[in-house]
Parts: sequence; C-alpha cells; structure tokens
Amino acid sequence: MILSPGAFVRVGLLLLLAVILQLSAFSQIGIAGGHADLVVLAVAAVAYYGGSVSGSAAGFAAGFLLDLLTGATMGASSLVLTAVGYGVGRYREVRDPSHGLLPIPVGAAATAAWVTAFAAVSLMLDIGARVSPLVLRDMVVTILLNALLAFPVFAGVRRLLRPSLARDPVEVRRRRQQPREAGPLGLRGLEI
Amino acid sequence: MLGIFVALSIAILTAYFGESGGGVFHTLQRGAQEAFAPVESGASRALKPVRDFFGWAGDTIDAKDQNEALKKEVQQLRSDLAEAQTAVRDSGQLKQIAELHEQDYFPQATRPVTARVIAKSPTVWHSSVKIDKGTGDGVRVDQPVVAAGGLVGKVTTATGGTAEVRLITDGESGVSAQVFPAGVSGVVRPEVGDPDDLLLENVESDRRVTENTLVITSGFTSSRLESLFPRGIPIGRVSKVDFDELETYQRVHVKPFADIRRLDLVEVLTRRGVATEAASLAGGDG
Repeated sequence: MILSPGAFVRVGLLLLLAVILQLSAFSQIGIAGGHADLVVLAVAAVAYYGGSVSGSAAGFAAGFLLDLLTGATMGASSLVLTAVGYGVGRYREVRDPSHGLLPIPVGAAATAAWVTAFAAVSLMLDIGARVSPLVLRDMVVTILLNALLAFPVFAGVRRLLRPSLARDPVEVRRRRQQPREAGPLGLRGLEI
Repeated sequence: MLGIFVALSIAILTAYFGESGGGVFHTLQRGAQEAFAPVESGASRALKPVRDFFGWAGDTIDAKDQNEALKKEVQQLRSDLAEAQTAVRDSGQLKQIAELHEQDYFPQATRPVTARVIAKSPTVWHSSVKIDKGTGDGVRVDQPVVAAGGLVGKVTTATGGTAEVRLITDGESGVSAQVFPAGVSGVVRPEVGDPDDLLLENVESDRRVTENTLVITSGFTSSRLESLFPRGIPIGRVSKVDFDELETYQRVHVKPFADIRRLDLVEVLTRRGVATEAASLAGGDG
C-alpha cells in the first residue's frame, strides 16, 4: 500500500467507523447468541489489501480505539488485532492469493484467531470466574456471521483503499484470467 | 513493524495495569468515552431501526424455538396437572369412603376391597361399570359396592381380575331400604336416565316420610326375600315426597349420596358384615 496522508485518513476513518458501528449496532444485534464483529473484518480487509505493515498498524489502531471507547483493558485488543492484521497481511504477501471468494475464509480465519486469542488474553489478564462453555458456541456463531459479512466488507474496504493500493489482488486476478494475445500468425511458436 | 506494535501494546498493557485510576491511560479512556459519547449515541439512535429489524428477526427465530419448548412444557404440565387432580380426586373419594365406614349405622366387618372403575357403560342409562378387582381379590357376585357417600350397586359378574357392577340406577335394580332412623321401609328403584333421583317405593301412606331424612339399606335377613345388602349402608337423602290421598303408597324421591356420574374409586364389601347397634335399633322393623 502506498502510505500517503490520504490513505492514513481513509484507513483511520474506516477503523473509527467500524468501531462506532460495532459498538452502536453490531454488538447489540444478537443472532443465535453471538454477534458479528466488524472491527476484525475491517482490520483483516486492510491487511489483505495493504499487506502486513498496514495490517498490523490498522490492527493496533483499531484495538487501541476499541479499548479506549469500551473502557476495556488498554492494550489487550490492540495486541491481538496487531497480530491478526499482521498474519492476514503476511498471508497475502507470501501466498499472493487472488481467488475471488478468498475474503470469506480469510475473514472467518481472522475472526477465529481474534476471538480465540482475545479470549486467551482476557483469561490471562482479567477473568477470575468460571467461564461457561456457551462462550465457545458464541465464538462459533461470531465466526460464521463474520464469514457471511466478509465478502461485502472486504469489497467496501477495497473500494475505499483502491487509490492507495500498490497492487490490487482483484486486478491481478483479472489480468491472470485474460487470455494471452498471440503474436502474428507467422511468428507463433517462435516466441522465446 | 510487528515487533514495534506488539511491544507498544504490551507496554500499554503494563502501564495500564500499573497505573492508578487517575493515570494517563485511564484518563485517556474516560476522555475518549466522553468525547465519543455523542457520536455513539447518535449512531445508536440512527441504527436503531437496523437493530430492531435484526432483533425482530432474532426474536422470531427464538420465539419459534421457545414456542416448541413451551408447547412441550405445557404438555408436561397438563399431564402433571391431570395426575395431580386425579390424585386429589382419588384422595378425596378414598377419604369419603373411609368416612362412610365411620358412620354409626354402617355395617361392621365388611372386609372392603378398594377397586378402580375401568369402564363405564356407554349409554345414558348409567346402568353398570367395570372394576379392576375380581375373584382373585375376593370379589364375588351379588356383593354390594359402595363409593364416596354410599351405595352404588352390586357385583353381577366377576372374573379373575375384573368385575361388573350393576348400579342402583340401572332399570333392573331394586334395593330394600328404610328411612333412618324412622324405620319406614320400601324398595329403592331408579328413575332410569336420572342418576340423581331414586325412588323409594312401596312406602305405606300412613307412615309419613319427611324430607332430608336419611335412607339406608334395610338388609332383610329373615324374610323370603333376603336382601343382598347388609343393613346400614347409606343410599341417599329424601329430597321430595309425593303424597296422594287416594294412593295406598307414597312415592319418596331420594337423592343418592354417591355421584354415579363420576365414579372412579369404589369399594366392594366382600363380607356381609354385621349391622351396628344403631342401625339395628332404627325403626325396629328391619
């Protein structure tokens, strides 16, 4: 990702919007015991299109905002989301995936990593009481809901970041799918 | 870069845990929450319809599950209630039957066998019921059957495990009875189709019968027509007396004590028993 001031502003606003939407709406829409988590999807999307550096920075910023606005233990969310952003970004850099439906498994995997790691950090830091096994069910529901939401969220983030993207995976895919133009008939087979 | 952010996060965590409530990060948190409160509030208000929509959808799904669960619960509770009501009713009937034995005119040493009514004649004549005790329990033909309140009939057939009881409301039934303690005798016959009204017939007109007096089995033993029933089983109470100057006999209406329409538990008196002193002294013509 080209780190321009415009990109910073766009990502900053995106994360702020994601956090506010999460707190004002998504967290309050309970479906089968769980709820969708927009923040981790936004971080994963930024990482997916922007790479590991952008991903870890977005994760840190989103986590910091989340902790600030929820009054939770400062640093816990940013620690986990930094790792999630970095992981997604590295995956994109190393594997260079270009499948159109990849945002769904990536979103689901990022969510799974987020809920699991955050639960582990919370257990280590805060929670002294017994934890109900229902937490596992809620985690699974959140992962499934995020898998459903991943595609539109990734598409929206891509649209937002497109001016700043050095390399758009969707464009790469399109280019790969385009048939190679053959040269003049007489030269076919002579290309080296 | 990852290392920097992770280290930063850990540093924030450490500082947050290390500082007091008035520390930098706590203050920052409070400030951010105050600053963003209007934004969050506005967003929350603006997104309320969305939340409501999803809430409605979720509630509908939950309601479906709850509906199923509640249906099962209602069914279980109905079943429990029915069992409880049956138990209460059975208990009440057993209590009334037990009280029957405590009456000073009720025959003694009758060796009662408690039985449950398992079938009733499907007609409106209230003629017979089937009980779940038979010869294996000592039940024999012609033994009297009582229920809560008083006499209900006699055993007409008995098998090993069941018995048929002809009710006193059956058209063929006739029970020698007397008004207690006056001692006026007659035969209790049914008014077929109305189990709440029996007729004490063959009551001579010169022996006046008054309303609300008790009617019990007379238990003739010495005459040719020996009564099947021991003396002293209550049948009912005189509800009305039809007196005609021209008639030789008066017609006495008797309301039976036993609720013939709702028989659940009965007792078969497997022994004729011994008439109590009170019953023997009553009227003196027994």
